[in-house]
Formats: sequence, C-alpha cells, structure tokens
Amino acid sequence: MSLLGANFRRDLEIRRYPLIVYALVPLVSLALQAWLPKALGRISPWILFDLPLVVTIYFALGRRSPVQGTIMGAAMGLFEDALSHHAIGLNGLAKTVVGYLAASVGVRFDVDNFLIRAALNFSLSLLASGIYLFVYRFLLGMELDWRWLAELVKAVDNSVIAMVLFPLLNRLQIRD
Amino acid sequence: MESFFFRFRNQLVLLAFLAAQIIGLATQVRRSDAGRGAVDTTDGSGVRLVRLWANAVVSPPERAIHYSLVGIQKMWTGYFDLRYVLQQNQNLTKTVDQLRLEQAALLEDARQGQRLQAMLGFQERYIYSTVAAQVYGTSGSDQSKVFYIDKGSNDGLKKDMAVISADGIVGKVRDVFQHSAQVLVVNDQTSGAGVILETTRIRGILKGDAAGNLEMVGLLADDRIKPGEKILTAGGDLIFPRGLPVGTVLKVVRDPDRDSFIDVIVSPAAHLEQLDEVLVITSTEPRFSADDQNNIAASETLKGPEVEAQQKEAQQNQLKESQIMAERLPGLTDAKAAPDTTGTGQSPAGASAVPPAPAPAPKLLPALHPDRFSPSVAKQSEAGQSGADTSQDATKQGQAPQAADEERKP
Repeated sequence: MSLLGANFRRDLEIRRYPLIVYALVPLVSLALQAWLPKALGRISPWILFDLPLVVTIYFALGRRSPVQGTIMGAAMGLFEDALSHHAIGLNGLAKTVVGYLAASVGVRFDVDNFLIRAALNFSLSLLASGIYLFVYRFLLGMELDWRWLAELVKAVDNSVIAMVLFPLLNRLQIRD
Repeated sequence: MESFFFRFRNQLVLLAFLAAQIIGLATQVRRSDAGRGAVDTTDGSGVRLVRLWANAVVSPPERAIHYSLVGIQKMWTGYFDLRYVLQQNQNLTKTVDQLRLEQAALLEDARQGQRLQAMLGFQERYIYSTVAAQVYGTSGSDQSKVFYIDKGSNDGLKKDMAVISADGIVGKVRDVFQHSAQVLVVNDQTSGAGVILETTRIRGILKGDAAGNLEMVGLLADDRIKPGEKILTAGGDLIFPRGLPVGTVLKVVRDPDRDSFIDVIVSPAAHLEQLDEVLVITSTEPRFSADDQNNIAASETLKGPEVEAQQKEAQQNQLKESQIMAERLPGLTDAKAAPDTTGTGQSPAGASAVPPAPAPAPKLLPALHPDRFSPSVAKQSEAGQSGADTSQDATKQGQAPQAADEERKP
C-alpha cells in the first residue's frame, strides 16, 4: 500500500525545532483558540476552526514519529477538554488518534504538497469530529445534538488555516 | 520479547494513551437518577485540579492578548476618537434626567408593592449586589458554550451565581478559580433555566440546542403563544431572580419527539455572542440595596420645579379629559343641574368638576309568576298603589298576585 519506496522513506526529512517552539506554538494555539471565538463571534457564527488540531497535525507530519504525534495530540486534546465544561478526555481521545495517524501518514507519504496537506487536514478534522461524537454518544451514552454541516465547515476552515500556517511554521525549524 | 515491544512501540504507546483516557472518562461521568442522557456534571477534586492547571497555563497568554487589544481600544476611544463626546454627554444628561423622573414616579408603586407583599408574606428578592466582570476567553469549542471572566473567588464569586448583562440573563457560574471563573451560557445544551411567558404566564424550561439557539421546551401546544411575546425568568430554579428579561418568542415549532408538545424558539435579550462585560449577582435580598436607596433619595431630592410643573400639567390634562368624557356621556351628567360657571370646571379642592350624577334607578324586569314576595309587589303594596304616574306594568304586576290569591281560595 505504501506509495514510497524504502530508500525514499529513509530520505524523508525529519524536521527539528527549537525547544521553545514546541512549548510556545501549542500554547499560543490554545490561547488563540480560546480567545478568537469571542473576538470573531460577532462577525459570523460560521467561522469555525480548531487551531490545536492543525498544530498537532503539523508537528506530527513534521516529526514523522507516531509516538510524538500521539503525545502531542493527547496533550492538546486534554488541554482543550480542561478548558471546556465537558468530561476530560473527549478531545484527548480524538486528537490522540489524529496525532498518531498524521505521523503514520507522514512516514509513508510525501506530504509537502499543498493539496495533500489540505486534504489530510480536512479528513483528519472530520475523523476527530467523528471520534468525539462516537465517544460522547456511544462510549459515554450521553445525548448530544450534532450538526455535521458545522463540522464540514470546520474541516474546510482547518484546511485553509493549515495552508497558511504550515509555511509560516516551516520558517521556525532548525536548518542544517 | 524486547523486539516485540520495539517493533510495536508506536501501537503500544497509542493503546496506552487511549486506555488511560478511557479509564479517566469512566471515572468522571456518573449517571444520575434523572434518566438516560442525564449525568452528574459536578467535577471531582482531581478533575477540578486539572481544569485549574489548564486555566493557569492558558489564561495568562489569553489575558495578555485580550488586555492588549482592550488597551489599544481604550487609548483610541479615550484620546483620539473624541469627536462626538460633547453631544453624547448632553444626550446622556438628558436621558439621566428623564430616567430620574420616571424613577420618582415608579417609586411609590414599588413601595406600595413591597407593602402589599409584606402583608401577604411574599418575599420578592431584589438584586442586592453585583460584581462587574470582563469576558476574556471561551472554551474554544463550539460544543461547549462556556466563557471565562476575570473575577474569581477573591472577588466573592461562588458556584451557581447568576450572570446577567444589561439586556438580560447570560448564564451561571459553573466553576470558580482564584482570579477567574467559568460561566456556562444559557444557550449550551446542558444548560437550563426556569422561565415564564410574560402575558400568558406559561412556564417552561429554557435550554440551548446544537446550533447555540435558545429554546423553551416541554410546553403543551397552545395557540396563545405568539411571536414577539416577552419571556422572563420564573425564579424557580434558585439561580436567576424572578422577572429578569430572557428574550422574545421568535417562532413556535412542533416537538419532533413528542406529539402535542411544542418548542418555542427564543431570540435572546442579551447578545450572547458579543459579550464583553457581564454582571455576576452575588447576593439577593428582599429589600432595595443601599445603592438603590441612594439613587431613589437622589431622585426625590432632584424633584424640583420641573417635576412639579409636569405633575400639574398632567393633572390639568386629566381634568380636561374627564370634562370631555362627561360631555360626551349625557347619562353621567345631571341635565337639571346648574351649568358650571367657573369656566375651568375645577373645584377648589382640585377634584373633578363633574358633579356626581344621581345613580339611575335599576329597572326591574317583571316576574313571570309574581307572588307577594316579589319586590315590585311588595313595593306597590307599601305605596298603596296610589299615584298617577304608576306604570302600567306595575298595575299588571299588582293584579297578578290578587288573582293568584283568589285561585288559592277554596
């Protein structure tokens, strides 16, 4: 199933960043995720996004390590859960899976292409929403009204944000 | 064995993280007795600690962003954009004067209402003290309609205190930290508030839906509920004081799950998506607060010649209206009474100029089968049927009992 040969996989660049980037970028993304809806709420209720998810996907793709993607996703999701009033672990589970999958895909495919990145963000956003809904409704057995249209819009917005944010974050990496 | 862990380390790490979080979820969600989907939403001490840490980490940069922008905004509006301040000040002064007049007029009604409530043993609770707070952030999730305010337990905030804005209710305090608090907005799916329709007095429960719309649920279909009707807090939920504005009825739709039930879609009075400042009701008391009493006293002392002139004018208008009404209704005026020569029609006491018209005597209908106890018969017998102006009806009525008496004779 792998599209790339073993030699090409070995040659894939593993991006490295200063330690402060690992600390600050997720923190800023969490702070902006909490602050921006308040600032943008008056403009349109259809501006939906998940910056921590985009940042998780970025680092998972860049590091190409499923373990690191898992840890990053779990940390971001747990922080998001802690800021909400829902049980802690709902977003954590969703983003753990997303981080793992993004890193696994990054090992197997060339994801430097813009379109592939956008498609990856779109599909992983929808997957995260699906896992959230599954855990909420079926694992916990709680009632939750759901709007798939809003989740689609969020996935599209995440893809657009990723196309702008990824090149900016690429500038922060350590170059040999 | 070592190669197994090494080979599947990625999958094992993933499984370990997933298992840990699932166990964590299982310990948090406790089923309540209220049925399916109802869970106990109170956080355990461990969960609360995690929320506290997350808030401590994310809150400082969030506040920094918020206060930087607020500072820039204040600098702009406070120093550079002062073009219309003078005009605004004049308009506001006029508004305050007008409001003071209205407050003075309403004062007596309020006092009377309080006296009556005291007589009836009814304890209306007034908002006694509030704490103003700034909204600096949200949960970041569209599934969780909560926001954070910059006041906490140090400012006297406690869990389940009502949060309002100048326009209407906003939500309730869900969690309190030292310098901040989490507020659950009324349009969240897990939120709930007891409300009542202003005119029809129909009660219901207010909650939010997935799209963040407010709706009143659990209502039986009722034709009297019309769009535009105001909705107020009912006061039964022990969170919101009674009578606070909630919103207006936007439309009425059928409950998709239950026949003969309806959902009322509500347009919120407060701008729930544009909240910058809110008020937390820290205490309610069955009397006016010291601030309110000071305001009322100020209104009373400010009642100067302007108010008196307005009151006199209102009295004169009332008199004129009553005169016009008296002229148009001849039944209320005595035709034989001497014409009013004062011109204004105002009595020295300032009472209404219309003399009290004699009450028209009620015209009794003749009884179908009168006897000696019939009132008209009794009256006629007292009068001895004398008098030329006795009506023909009365004569007939007087004859009827006599005929009846004759019939009863053996």
